[in-house]
Amino acid sequence: MKMTLPRRLLLGAALAMGLAGTAAAEFPERQITLVIPFAAGGSTDVVGRIVADRMSKSLGQQVIVQNVGGAGGSLGGQQVAKADPDGYTILMGTVATHALNPLILKQKPYDPVTDFAPVSLLVLVPNVLAVHPDLPVNTVQELIDLAKKEQLAYASSGNGTPLHLSGELFKSMAGVDITHIPYKGSGPALTDVLGNQVPIIFDNLPSSSGHIASGKLKALGVTTKERAPSFPDVPAIAETLPGYETYSWNALFAPASTPPEAIAALNKAALEAMADPEVAKRMGEFSATIVASSPEDLGKHVTAEMAKWEPVVKAANVSLD
Amino acid sequence: MDLLSNLALGFSVASSLANMAFCLIGVILGTLIGVLPGIGATATIAMLLPITFQLEPVSSLIMLAGIYYGAQYGGSTTAILINMPGESSSAVTAIDGYQMARKGRAGTALATAALGSFFAGTVATFLVAIFAPPLTTIALKFGAAEYFSLMVMGLVMSVALAHGSVLKALAMVVLGLLLGLVGTDIYTGTPRFTLGITQYSDGLNFVALAVGVFGIAEILRNLEDEHDREVMTKSINRLLPTRDELRQMVGPVLRGTAVGSVLGILPGGGAILASFASYTVEKKLSTNPGEFGKGALAGVAGPESANNAGAQTSFIPLLTLGIPANPVMALMIGAMIIQGIVPGPNVVTEQPALFWGIIASMWIGNLMLVVLNLPLIGLWVKLLTVPYYVLFPIIMAMCSIGVYSVASNTYDLFAVAFFGLLGYLMSKLRCEPAPLLLGFVLGPLLEENLRRAMILSRGDPTTFVTRPISAILLLLTLGVLVLVFTPQIRRRRDEVFTESDA
Repeated sequence: MKMTLPRRLLLGAALAMGLAGTAAAEFPERQITLVIPFAAGGSTDVVGRIVADRMSKSLGQQVIVQNVGGAGGSLGGQQVAKADPDGYTILMGTVATHALNPLILKQKPYDPVTDFAPVSLLVLVPNVLAVHPDLPVNTVQELIDLAKKEQLAYASSGNGTPLHLSGELFKSMAGVDITHIPYKGSGPALTDVLGNQVPIIFDNLPSSSGHIASGKLKALGVTTKERAPSFPDVPAIAETLPGYETYSWNALFAPASTPPEAIAALNKAALEAMADPEVAKRMGEFSATIVASSPEDLGKHVTAEMAKWEPVVKAANVSLD
Repeated sequence: MDLLSNLALGFSVASSLANMAFCLIGVILGTLIGVLPGIGATATIAMLLPITFQLEPVSSLIMLAGIYYGAQYGGSTTAILINMPGESSSAVTAIDGYQMARKGRAGTALATAALGSFFAGTVATFLVAIFAPPLTTIALKFGAAEYFSLMVMGLVMSVALAHGSVLKALAMVVLGLLLGLVGTDIYTGTPRFTLGITQYSDGLNFVALAVGVFGIAEILRNLEDEHDREVMTKSINRLLPTRDELRQMVGPVLRGTAVGSVLGILPGGGAILASFASYTVEKKLSTNPGEFGKGALAGVAGPESANNAGAQTSFIPLLTLGIPANPVMALMIGAMIIQGIVPGPNVVTEQPALFWGIIASMWIGNLMLVVLNLPLIGLWVKLLTVPYYVLFPIIMAMCSIGVYSVASNTYDLFAVAFFGLLGYLMSKLRCEPAPLLLGFVLGPLLEENLRRAMILSRGDPTTFVTRPISAILLLLTLGVLVLVFTPQIRRRRDEVFTESDA
């Protein structure tokens, strides 16, 4: 009898542990936090919320959105890089958090490759080069010709943002000099271009699309290699400047050394979300192209993006402390 | 007659049972979060965004809009009762509203705020309906040079906010400007005065600063002298204003509404300036300016009307252009995109039911607010009779939660603690917190637009006087300066001197 009691206890404990073990294998057993490294209301936030909502259904657990904005996405990125690698804290990464910031910042808040486990590249979002309708140009070539004669200026959502660098890449490939006017986000930049305070803007296509459709902005070209399905009449800048290609993207990342089972479960839920026709419709309205990649492909994508942007960042001489 | 049929369409949408219910939920939630110190509309709307997935687009936007202007109402309640402005616009209400409360006139102050807000909200809603498109055109004429001149005017007017020494007020404005410099320089990307802390790279949080210098400092002051507060809570007068007080209210409310409606349209900073501008106007027009800062009714009625009118008209750039005038409007745009509506000039023509429905709901919501708030005044005032040792830990906890919820940033809480101590020190030195707040809000805009204007003009400073709107604003600024300092206006000069002696 004296032996059985502890034995039973041990057995019970072993059983309990075994159960716990099984439960852990069936990720997720509690709610998941999706960190969005930008303020609520922006394009990354919108993509994140639509995806989180649909992933909650697949995973059977709530995916809670937490906005940790600041320092161009670095604060949110840093928070997830340092989070417990259990798959319950994940990041909505972007071209800024996983390619540009690590290249631009002198003090690196994290390493985009070694500090993260990729989950899935969700969408690509085109950028657009647009001008106020009063600017007497109708094509990218006419803009380049005008910029060679006159000193023009372009607005962007801020220093070191993908849109600024899209502008800098354009300048270096076209061999023109256009003054960069940074703003605090797309909204105020757009306001000044609509009011013709600044004639040119590089913007995310989703935030400009309403103004392009209504004719308040004249779109000269999209920054993707091919034309955007939502604006088939707007040429790609690459049609004038072969090889020009930039776009924003959104991808899910977990902290490095997150268990592969958790990554697999998250990837499965993300792919299911992106395959949902309702999500696809929303993304289409948003001019975003669905990718829904494997974890491995996202890993390769990050390396490729860093390789692509490094010379641009160097050429533009953008560097932030 | 187009307008009438549009309004009819709007009211038919807004008066459906479901939309009325969402409007009510919105304004109740807004009032509640407005009353809870530190928790602002931005954080609440961000938290509620996922819920709006399941709603009809028009219902969700009606509810979110209700939260926004409901919070403007509720925010003045804490400003008046415990000197804790939750939104930048109610910082001005706190100046005279809190003094009124200390003199036992909390009920009158709250009723004034509610009635003024109702009137302003109603009028501004009609302005939105009638003038939205032409007003947007004016807002678009404001470039960097115009904004710079507008900010200069705002800062010059801020001197009038002081009811102590003018020199100290100037010092506070400058300190505010300096605090506003903290963060990343948007033109070079260089972090300034961040002490190497990445969390401050986007600047200090406004809510943290306001809660610190107003609220926490006030708690410290009260704890030092519990006796004072008891006097204040025991002598609460009747709740509703007398006929005489109502008559005093009319002028300030009308002027506040006008000022707020105009400034609310300007994206960025416009709505913030409205309540400050209205206060200045009232103080300058008053026959008894010495009363300002000591519990002047006009000092509550004017700014409150201005901030509510501004809150309504700040929907104009959102609805007609798809451009956010402030962070709350940015969230509304997010909500629209989530619902599959592309914000932009086409919303009015493609979604008339949505556009006019929201406008009509604002009127209904404002009516609900006044019906809801007038009876609640008695309840809020009773809050003052809660023993302070119970009240202040609750206030502290709510503030901390509220500040943290803005950006999930622990460093914002350190900022609250620091500015609480600074605010206490300032009160010992008899320095006013309001000019500091104005400097803090306007400083970054002043700098950003000055530099942008100079880049655009390629270094030519005459841009500020050759652009007509900018030139007019600078002339007005000069006018204000002359008004304050010219000896011919004897009465006014005397006031300036009595103020510096006070």
